[in-house]
Amino acid sequence: MPGESPVPGSIIFKKKLRKRHKKDGLIFMHWLSKKKYKIGLMVPTLLVYSIFIILPVIIAVRYSFTKYSGIGQAKFTGLKNYARLFQDKIFWISFKNTMVMFVLAFVLLLTLSFAIALLLNNRLKAVDFSKALIFSPAIIAPIIVGIIWVYILDPNIGIINNVLDAIGAGGLKAKWIGGDKLSPYSIAIIYFWQQLGYLVTIFIAGLKMIPGDVLEAVKIDGASTVQEIRYVIIPMMRTTISTVAVLIITGVFKIFEIVQQTTGGGPNHLSETLVTYSYSMTFSSSDYGYGMSLATVTFLLSLLITAVYSTVTKEREG
Amino acid sequence: MKNRNLKRLLAAVTVSAMSLGLMTGCSGGGGEEAKTDESGATVIKFGIHVANPAEQEAVTNNIVEAFNKANEGKYKVEFEAADTETHSKNMKLKAEDGTLPQIFWIEGSEAPEYSEAGVLLDLTEFLDENAEIKTALGGMEEAFKDDNGQYGLPYQCNVQGIFYNKELFDQAKADYPTDETTYEDFIEIIKKLKDSKVTPLSIGSKNSAYAMWEFNEFLARYGWEDNIGNILDGKDKFNNKELTACFEKFQGLKDAGAFPENMATIEYFDAKQLFNEGKAAMFGTGQWDCAEFDENIGDKIGFWWGPKFSDTQSSQEIAMKVPSAPIGVSAAVADDEKLKEGVYEFLKFYYGEEAAKLSYEGSIFPATNYEGASASDSQYSMNVMIDALANGWGSPQAAPDLTVSSAVQEALYDGIFGVLQGTYQPAEALDKLDAALANSK
Repeated sequence: MPGESPVPGSIIFKKKLRKRHKKDGLIFMHWLSKKKYKIGLMVPTLLVYSIFIILPVIIAVRYSFTKYSGIGQAKFTGLKNYARLFQDKIFWISFKNTMVMFVLAFVLLLTLSFAIALLLNNRLKAVDFSKALIFSPAIIAPIIVGIIWVYILDPNIGIINNVLDAIGAGGLKAKWIGGDKLSPYSIAIIYFWQQLGYLVTIFIAGLKMIPGDVLEAVKIDGASTVQEIRYVIIPMMRTTISTVAVLIITGVFKIFEIVQQTTGGGPNHLSETLVTYSYSMTFSSSDYGYGMSLATVTFLLSLLITAVYSTVTKEREG
Repeated sequence: MKNRNLKRLLAAVTVSAMSLGLMTGCSGGGGEEAKTDESGATVIKFGIHVANPAEQEAVTNNIVEAFNKANEGKYKVEFEAADTETHSKNMKLKAEDGTLPQIFWIEGSEAPEYSEAGVLLDLTEFLDENAEIKTALGGMEEAFKDDNGQYGLPYQCNVQGIFYNKELFDQAKADYPTDETTYEDFIEIIKKLKDSKVTPLSIGSKNSAYAMWEFNEFLARYGWEDNIGNILDGKDKFNNKELTACFEKFQGLKDAGAFPENMATIEYFDAKQLFNEGKAAMFGTGQWDCAEFDENIGDKIGFWWGPKFSDTQSSQEIAMKVPSAPIGVSAAVADDEKLKEGVYEFLKFYYGEEAAKLSYEGSIFPATNYEGASASDSQYSMNVMIDALANGWGSPQAAPDLTVSSAVQEALYDGIFGVLQGTYQPAEALDKLDAALANSK
C-alpha cells in the first residue's frame, strides 16, 4: 500500500536501506570534503608526528652543534663535532660496515625475495607451509635473532665451526663474528635472513594485484617465462619494488639489535654500524653532542640514498 | 567576522598548547615532593643500577628491608630499579627535568658531572652530624669530594683482583700466585695452564668493556695515581713511558694466549660462567662475585692482587681496596625537611653497624669499618680476600678507571681490550686515550 513502510527483511526494505546508506555516505563525504574539516582531522596526526618525529630530529640536530654530557648545560661548539667526525677512523669503519651491509642486503634481499615471491605465487605443493616457514624469522624479535645467530656463528661455541671441526674441515674455521673482517658480512646475512619473509610477503601481495587476464594474454601470445617477468610482471610491480627498496634502505640504516647482540660493535668498534656507533658515543661515552652529529649524518645519508633511488626510478618510469 | 576568526584562532592555539602540555607531561614543577604510603610513612626513592635488587644486589636489598622494618609507619625506602645502562640514562633524564629519586647510585666517572650540574646535595652536614660514620668510612668518602662539597658517599667498598681455581692450578702443576709473583712468573703460569687445556684467564669484551678490574692493579703499579693529575692537566700524555710499558704487558698476556679465543663475542657473565664451570683457571673481578664462587668453587678458591713489575720505579705494594661508585642524594631533598630527615635516617642506617654486618653476611665489603663485623668460615672467597688484605699494603684513593671522565674511561676500556685482542698496538691505544681526553676538553 502506498505510504506504508516496507516489511523489514523484504527486498523493498533492503533497497530503501541501501539508498539511505548511500545518501548518508554522500552527505558524510560531502562534509568531509570541506577544507576546514580536512584540516581539523589532520591536526591530531600532525601534532603527534611533529612532537614525536619532527621535534626530536630538530633537537638532535641542535645538540649535534654542542658539547654535552647529558647533564647540565650544553655548550655550543659550532661545527667542531662534524670536523671531528671526518677525522675519526671509527666513523669511517662504521660507514664502511653500513655500506657493506647496505649493498649486500639490497642486492640479496631485492633479488631473492622477488624470486621467492614468484615461486610461491604458483600453485605448488606445500606452498602455504613454505610461506609460513619463510615468514617466521620476521616475527622473531631482533634481539632473539641475534642470540640465535651467536650460537651459529660464534668462533668457539657456534655450530658452523663445530661442524667444520667434526667433518675434518677445521681449516675452514673462521671468526664469523668477533674478528676484524667478517662481522659486517655475517650481520648482513643475519639481516637478510630476518627480513626475507617480510619482503616476500609484500612481493606476493604485489603479484596478486596483477590482473589474471593480462598474464593469460601474455601466455596466449607465446611469451616465455623470462619475457613474462621482464616485460609484464616487473613493469607492473614497479610501485611494489620501490616500496621494498625503500624499506631495505631505511631498514639497513636501523640495524641495531643484531649488532649489539652478536658483537656489541666489537672487537674495538670494528663491527660498528653508524647507528650502533652513534649509540655507543652517546650513551657509553656520554658524548651526546658527538653522538648526535653521527645520528644526523646517518639520517641525512639514509635520506640521500632514498632520494637518489626515488629520482632514478621516477626518471625511468617517466 | 574578523573578531570571530581571531577568537577561533586563539581557541585553537590554546587547545594545541594544552594538548602539547599534556602530551609532554609538563608539570611546571621542579623536584618531587615527599610522598607517603598507605601507612603514612614517608616514601624515599632509591634509584639502583640493577633490574632486580633482590637477586642482583641482595645485600642492599636486605639493608633496605631491615631499614623499612625498623622504621615501619615512619619511612619506607622503595627501589627505582633498572639495569646499569638504562639506570644511567634515566638518571640523566631525571636530572634534567628535576625528578631525580631522593637517593641514587651514580656511575663513578659521571658523578663529578652531576656535582658540577648542581643536582646533588652536599653531604658534609650529614657527615659532621654523624662523626662515628665519618670515622668508620676511614677516608673512603674523600674520593667523592670537590669544590661543591661531599657530593656522594661510597656505595660499597670494592676489593678487586684475580680469583683463581686451585684445583685447575694443581692439575696444570702450576704454583699458586703469591704477593711476590712477578709478571714473568705469571707468563709461565699461563703457559702451564694453557698446556693443561684450560683457559688461563677468563674475560669477555662484548658489551662489558668495564669488566677489566684485574687490570686496574696493573695501571696502579705503573704509577697511575701519581701521574693521572699531570695527564689530565695536559702536562703529560697517556702515551708515556710508564703506561706504554704497562700496555706492553697486556700485549704479552695476549701473546701468551691468556684469554678465551672468543673474548670478543662473550660478555662478562659468560666469562664468569667459564670460571664457575671450571673451564677457566682465573677470573678478574671483585667481592660482588664472592657468593657465586662460594657456591661453585667452594674452598678451592684463591685470590691474588696481580703480578709485580720490575721495569717501573712505581710502588708495587699496592692492594686494590677502593670505594665503589658513589650514591648521591638529590639536591631537591633539601627543600623538604621531612624528606631530608628521612634520607639522613636511611644514610645513618646504611653506613651503620647493622648494615655492615648484613654486608659481610652477603659477602660484600661495606664502605665502613666496624669492629666485630667479619665473614664466616664458609665464606671462602671473602676470607681469601681478607687474607690478601692482611699484608697491609695501601690502596689508591680510587680505582684508576674511575678517575677519568666517561669519554676517557670508555677510551681506556677500548684501548685495553684493543691490545688484549690484538687490534691495537700499545702506543696506538694510548694515542686514542690522548685523543679522547683532548676531545673531552
